[in-house]
Amino acid sequence: MIKIAKIAFLTTVFTIFTAPLLIVAGVSLNEKKRMFFPPDGLSLRWYPEIFEEAKWAGALTNSVTIAVCAGLLAVSIALPIAYFLWRHRVFYAKALFVLGLVPFALPPVITALGMLIFWSQAGYVGKLENIILAHGVFLVTLPLVMISLGLESIDEELLEAARTMGADGRKLFTSVIFPMVLPYMIAGYAFVLVLSMNEYIISFFLGQHVTITLPVQVLSSLRSGYTPVIAAVAVMFILLAVVIFSLIARFSDLPKLLGAWSPKE
Amino acid sequence: MSDATENTTVASVATEDDELVTKPGILGSIKRFPFSIYPTLMLGIFFFIPFAIMIAISFAHRTTSTYEVGFEFTHYARFFSPLFTTHVWVSVQFAALASLFALVVAVPFTFFISRFRRKSQVVSLVFVLCVLTLSEVIVAYSLSVVLGRQSGLPSLMEAFGFVDRAKSWYPSYGANLFGLSYFNIPFAVLILYPACTRLDRELTEAAQTLGASPVRTFFTIVLPMLEKTLLAAFILLFVFTMGAFVTPIWLGRPEDTMMAQLIADQALGRGNVPFAAALAVFFMLVTLALSLLTVWLRRSDKTGVAS
Repeated sequence: MIKIAKIAFLTTVFTIFTAPLLIVAGVSLNEKKRMFFPPDGLSLRWYPEIFEEAKWAGALTNSVTIAVCAGLLAVSIALPIAYFLWRHRVFYAKALFVLGLVPFALPPVITALGMLIFWSQAGYVGKLENIILAHGVFLVTLPLVMISLGLESIDEELLEAARTMGADGRKLFTSVIFPMVLPYMIAGYAFVLVLSMNEYIISFFLGQHVTITLPVQVLSSLRSGYTPVIAAVAVMFILLAVVIFSLIARFSDLPKLLGAWSPKE
Repeated sequence: MSDATENTTVASVATEDDELVTKPGILGSIKRFPFSIYPTLMLGIFFFIPFAIMIAISFAHRTTSTYEVGFEFTHYARFFSPLFTTHVWVSVQFAALASLFALVVAVPFTFFISRFRRKSQVVSLVFVLCVLTLSEVIVAYSLSVVLGRQSGLPSLMEAFGFVDRAKSWYPSYGANLFGLSYFNIPFAVLILYPACTRLDRELTEAAQTLGASPVRTFFTIVLPMLEKTLLAAFILLFVFTMGAFVTPIWLGRPEDTMMAQLIADQALGRGNVPFAAALAVFFMLVTLALSLLTVWLRRSDKTGVAS
């Protein structure tokens, strides 16, 4: 009885979450420019338009460029902070760490407005690099937390052993520490990549209708009249998330990254 | 003003957290690890300075087309105008309800998946992450497809003869609330997940050996143990929902306008940057205060579960 209730509950939750996404996938297959479900005629012709039609292709290029660079930026800021705190445990390192946690804790509209004012004061608006910098700083929290987890999991005895074998600070970092935190860096990078691709409000504020990213293009297309390309883009976003998170799950310890506690520790 | 608040909060978090921390001063610290100059500059220039400018501008004087340097509380005084109070109240209601609904679904859901075998657990987590990271634009659009006349539930109702002519279910209060809750649930799951994996299995097993039903065990053992985590989760979700932007635009009515929209409208639509900045500063202070409360709650909870 309880078991049935539990299964019914879990199935309902999974269904409520999957159904809208499946319906969108169905809508993207409509043959004509309509939003029917079940689809009226089957066609994949909206998918190539993402790459062919200038406004979608441009938005896609912008989004991918921003996400790839913002990921690198976020990891490059996070790694020294995490290492600093782990190695030296000084107050200033802790302060930097907490400062790195703040952007993500604030609602994105605040970061968006702060950055917009900053760049308008500098007289440099609507640029791609503004969005890269904003995403890199806003999302720095994720690689910061993950790299710290990775560093904490390094066995102190291993470092001791490397030191007795004559490894100096630099050698220790390049041949022991770096390879051990690399999976966590990659996971952090992937999280930033996905979140940056999906981010709307910062891109909208900073893009100023000059640099347009995919989510911004989706909302503006929705407002100016429906096209099934929107549904196709939505499906692409869903697939991107599925692929990236499955890869993370495959190559690293996802429950641990998300804070699960294993009894062995 | 807010710089000072931020510094003190940073200090209090840092000192409480770690007895191992030593205090050689900023320059001494950087000397120990020169690479720390780079993150200091990046966060300083692209995070701290923009916020400092924003705070300064919230006191600036608005001219007809732009703003000029000044020190006045005009923009903060507008907080007492109905424009502001109505939308804040609307946002608070939506945020509180959506967070509550999300928790009601997420608590049992997370509890169940934290007891799955590892492989199913990983698959469920991938699923949750996929939904969580989806753009607000994509989620709002997908839900509008489900609630729309041609493709979703209304047309299904028509097909089964419940209604004569299907009408779209959005924009509406309910659609907005549903969208916000939908968006909150995966976030709630990720907040609750660490605490659920830490719950001592032996306690629930003991309760059941003593004859308590699983439902009773859940309400008398599991929920009380999660009490502070739940409160912390509620606050985090509340803050997260207050920042919603696309969902109320797409699924809500004009009267369902929320905080983030108000800020965007003032800054971009009406060009009143100082008022938008004042709103953002207020929003930021409230958020920081609430976040610190959750840090404190979670810390005290950890010791509670461990003992």
